[in-house]
Amino acid sequence: MSGTLYWMGDAVAFRAGETVAAALRRSGIDDFGPALGELRARYFCGIGSCQACLVSLNGDSLIEACLTPAREGMRLSAALPLAEEHGHE
Amino acid sequence: MSEPDVLVVGGGPAGVAAAIELAQLGLTVTLAEQGSRLGGAIHRQYVGQGESPLAIPGRHRRHWQGLALGLANAGERIRVMVEAVFLGVDGDSRFLLDDRRAGKVIGLSPKAVVLAVGAIERIVPRPGWELPGVTTAGGMQLQLKETGEAPTGAILIAGNGPLPLALGAQLAAAGNPPLAILERGEPWRAALRHPAAAVAGLRSPAHVAEAAGYALRLARAGVPYRSGWSVTAIEALRQGLLVSCQHVSGRTMQHRVAHLALHDGLATNSSGLPAPVVDGVAIVRAGDCREVLGADAAISDGLRAARTIARQLCPAAPQRELARDFERELAAARRMQRSIQTLCRAADWPIAPDTVVCRCEGLRRSDLDSLQGASSAREIRLLGRFGMGACQGRSCLASVKAITAEAGASFDITVADPVVQRWPLRPVSVVALAAFSDV
Repeated sequence: MSGTLYWMGDAVAFRAGETVAAALRRSGIDDFGPALGELRARYFCGIGSCQACLVSLNGDSLIEACLTPAREGMRLSAALPLAEEHGHE
Repeated sequence: MSEPDVLVVGGGPAGVAAAIELAQLGLTVTLAEQGSRLGGAIHRQYVGQGESPLAIPGRHRRHWQGLALGLANAGERIRVMVEAVFLGVDGDSRFLLDDRRAGKVIGLSPKAVVLAVGAIERIVPRPGWELPGVTTAGGMQLQLKETGEAPTGAILIAGNGPLPLALGAQLAAAGNPPLAILERGEPWRAALRHPAAAVAGLRSPAHVAEAAGYALRLARAGVPYRSGWSVTAIEALRQGLLVSCQHVSGRTMQHRVAHLALHDGLATNSSGLPAPVVDGVAIVRAGDCREVLGADAAISDGLRAARTIARQLCPAAPQRELARDFERELAAARRMQRSIQTLCRAADWPIAPDTVVCRCEGLRRSDLDSLQGASSAREIRLLGRFGMGACQGRSCLASVKAITAEAGASFDITVADPVVQRWPLRPVSVVALAAFSDV
């Protein structure tokens, strides 16, 4: 492993050149947090099309985990942490 | 950075082939790829040390080596931008790229554009398809190509057509063969009913050899290939997924797995793309985003797109000799695709009320049914929010169209409301927009 990023505060190892989603999967993280309509965010299409793997980078901008290369020290968290409480309305 | 003659969007075989050809014709090219490396889905590069454990067919390896060499030879005439996402065309006819490495949106005003953004996988909604642990077959294959590592735990592949075979064989090569490959169609029976389709498929020795290689690897790993089986529902267990399957005969079966890969065929990734001409700028589609013909044909189609543009931009220049017969190659690929479609044809099933149709907005079929009276795409979007989520309807469009057609309504957003296709095609940060610059 060549680097470390953080998912919800937990350290996740990654190899240089791989995507955020690949690193998360190796660490057994399939659930990327709450999504609208009581669903869960997750890796799905791998090509940036379905937008199901959006996560928040460093507390703000949303990125596709399937496209974004893993970089040292990235702090990643659920894209819509409040989706669960507020539901769709 | 200066303004290129041509913007090529998509760094897979079609886009790279087009860029090389345009450069050879003397034009300058910006080649924009959303990922961090060129190659597209088919040539996704292995990031580990040494050789990938997957047995990538020699023909695909050779094709990519040829394209990589062409890129190297083109030198500065091709400017490659990675992590650059095409956002659409703005009101001033600028072609917008989200340059994520630079953290800003840029606007290009090229003389012509090639769009080579590939295919998307069709996934017919069934209960539970939206759960973590469920991916598309292509999505699972991309991570496998990238890392050389199969997901851990039991894997089931349920799909339609040749991609599940390739994925299954590659998972076996990576040390975790799937429990089974379920094929919705019944290719052997279809071959008896449509012998011409079977013969057409056999006319491509390269594809036959590739399929035989996968079949051999699957047989050695003891992976059963079950035709006529569909996944009807998926439930989340405390650990993993419970997958319910049904055979065309009505027989049912359940599997407990950690990962499920679904695939209901391929479709052009054309939703929301600009028209063929915007403000006098020709926009030519190439590869699977124009017509799903596969990786080999994508190279020919990229060359064809480049020639089309060259004829418009430099009409006085002598036409280059055709080294290859594109039309014949495309026709052969079309014959192959039709054969696969005929052999693997399977009926779609009705979508149940509680099934998630629009994942972005978390909307179910019952939400769509409750919009009775909403008869136009505009109403369905504004009142129901179908097609309004982060994916811009790319994932739900086909299902919403099919369901609304049953009720006699139309969800053809291009016909109903041509102005509805607005940029950005993908979410973009306000910070990147604020940093906007022209080239």
